[in-house]
Amino acid sequence: MSKINQITLKEAAGLIKDGDMLSFSGFTIWRRPTAMIYEMIRQGKKNLHLFEVNGGTHSEILIGAGCVKIWESCWIGHELYGKLGESLARGQVDGSIIVEDYSHAQCVARQLAGAYGLPFFPTALSMGTDILNPKYDNLAKAGLRDGSNPKIPLKKYEMIHDPMYDKGELLLIPAVNPDWAIVYASQVGTEGTVRVFSQCYVDAEVIKAADKVIVIAEEIVPDSYLRDDPASNIAAGHAIDYVVQVPFGAHPTGSQFYYDCDAAFIRDFYSASKSSDSYKKWADEWIFGVSSHEEYLEKLGVNRLNALKANTVLGYSTNVKRGTR
Amino acid sequence: MAGKNYAEKYKPADLLAVAAAREVMDGDIVFAGTGLPMLAIALAQKTSAPNAVCIYEAGSIDGRPIDLPTSVGDSRCAYQASVAAGLTETFYGQLHCGYVDLAFLGGAEIDKYGNVNTTVVGDYSSPSKRFTGSGGNPDINSYAKRTVFIMVQEKRRFKDNVDYITSPGWRIRKWPSGEFVHKKEVYGKFFNGGPSAVITNMAVFRFGDDGIMYLDTVHPGFTAEQVKDNCLFDLDISRCKGETERPTVEEIDLLYKVVDPEGIFLP
Repeated sequence: MSKINQITLKEAAGLIKDGDMLSFSGFTIWRRPTAMIYEMIRQGKKNLHLFEVNGGTHSEILIGAGCVKIWESCWIGHELYGKLGESLARGQVDGSIIVEDYSHAQCVARQLAGAYGLPFFPTALSMGTDILNPKYDNLAKAGLRDGSNPKIPLKKYEMIHDPMYDKGELLLIPAVNPDWAIVYASQVGTEGTVRVFSQCYVDAEVIKAADKVIVIAEEIVPDSYLRDDPASNIAAGHAIDYVVQVPFGAHPTGSQFYYDCDAAFIRDFYSASKSSDSYKKWADEWIFGVSSHEEYLEKLGVNRLNALKANTVLGYSTNVKRGTR
Repeated sequence: MAGKNYAEKYKPADLLAVAAAREVMDGDIVFAGTGLPMLAIALAQKTSAPNAVCIYEAGSIDGRPIDLPTSVGDSRCAYQASVAAGLTETFYGQLHCGYVDLAFLGGAEIDKYGNVNTTVVGDYSSPSKRFTGSGGNPDINSYAKRTVFIMVQEKRRFKDNVDYITSPGWRIRKWPSGEFVHKKEVYGKFFNGGPSAVITNMAVFRFGDDGIMYLDTVHPGFTAEQVKDNCLFDLDISRCKGETERPTVEEIDLLYKVVDPEGIFLP
């Protein structure tokens, strides 16, 4: 029986070095480790390399702050609450960020290969697209596929002929094994067992593929409680390196059975993200204007957080106004 | 259509949702994205396709939401689902293994072969604008038996060639040469199907055996010529069957009172 290595948010962010490759838990605007994103920005991280199965509000916040050099993924935006990833778009258009586009299922393939210790994973999805256009391999164009960075594969993909059943050509997609997985989880046990509620997204694969794993836990609970229902857990304690307990650690993204997405907050951020000046004003208020996650929550206020609170039976809030009626 | 009680008044989005719902056959396994597709599948399940199964790519299999989700990762998608899984299951355990009959997708630009761009405006190497990126659009479109695109009809969005092929239509690029060939030639024995319809605020389009888009029906209030004028490519309007069937009173009632009573996608 081993105990978790519980640290503070500031200590966790302090472990991340400039240039490290990171991946995150969650899906678009759900279960993102936003508290850790804010703290990495406060600590001024630079040249981070993100691999994301999909991006979202959290990565837009991190990119807007100038912390990211390489973004490998397939999608970024805020779902209904903001249609584009404005920070990334600015970075791609002005050339300050290297973007490598894959399809969503190809990103999953990268994560699966990484999680299972394989160099690549085969798929027949998204063939015939410009994602595979050799002229559009931006990491190769930047001279980064020369093997000098162990986190960047020598090729974006390879086409092979199915040697087993002669089904024709398909793709081999390289594994990804980031330096860090930064995972927001609903519950972590005292021995590190991890549970998430509702859809599990790619969280288990993100945990297994990374060299080191930091879990931002909504709550730490007795491991015995999680072990009473082992089929509901997504990772064992030996896969987890550090745990930080952070209530509302995913805000403004949602966490099933704890709180809903903060639509108004995401919409406000999206408007602010449309220029670097307005982003800076927003960051001065919400990231640099508070010194800790506790101060951030205090600034949000109890009424706002209460409205987001999930109904414990349904798993989502029935108090937030979501539409026009 | 004798016996049907058609609605006198409806909004363009209502007709989009209703026309899309009518593409669902009972028993279809449907892969749907965020927005109007959510209305379409929910409406279909409440009318003509009660046995249709809905998969959302974030991981919910056959959910029975009682409140409309706002995104595919929403907890509401997984309410009463048979399985709440993740992306490995939806993309590989459902899509790649061949279960998916019908997909609802969107796009910023489309060409006459049904190739869709959701990535950039301009040359990808020095783009003038970045969109969201592919998401699951090309994966789902490449493997579903039928794909229905729901889009806004604007001349600049219906192009001869899209700036970037995010999602594969009927004539796509064979790498490494990049020559355009029929989808079957690229997918070989992995071929399942492809784009079957495009539904816009003006019309419904379908694809011929040659993989080229043609006008199938025009929505009430528009003419075939107006639709043709809103495409940059030379649209075939010779096979137009007439007007798109209007929404019924029952369908509008269901949309506003049962499917989206909060006014999320139908304000």
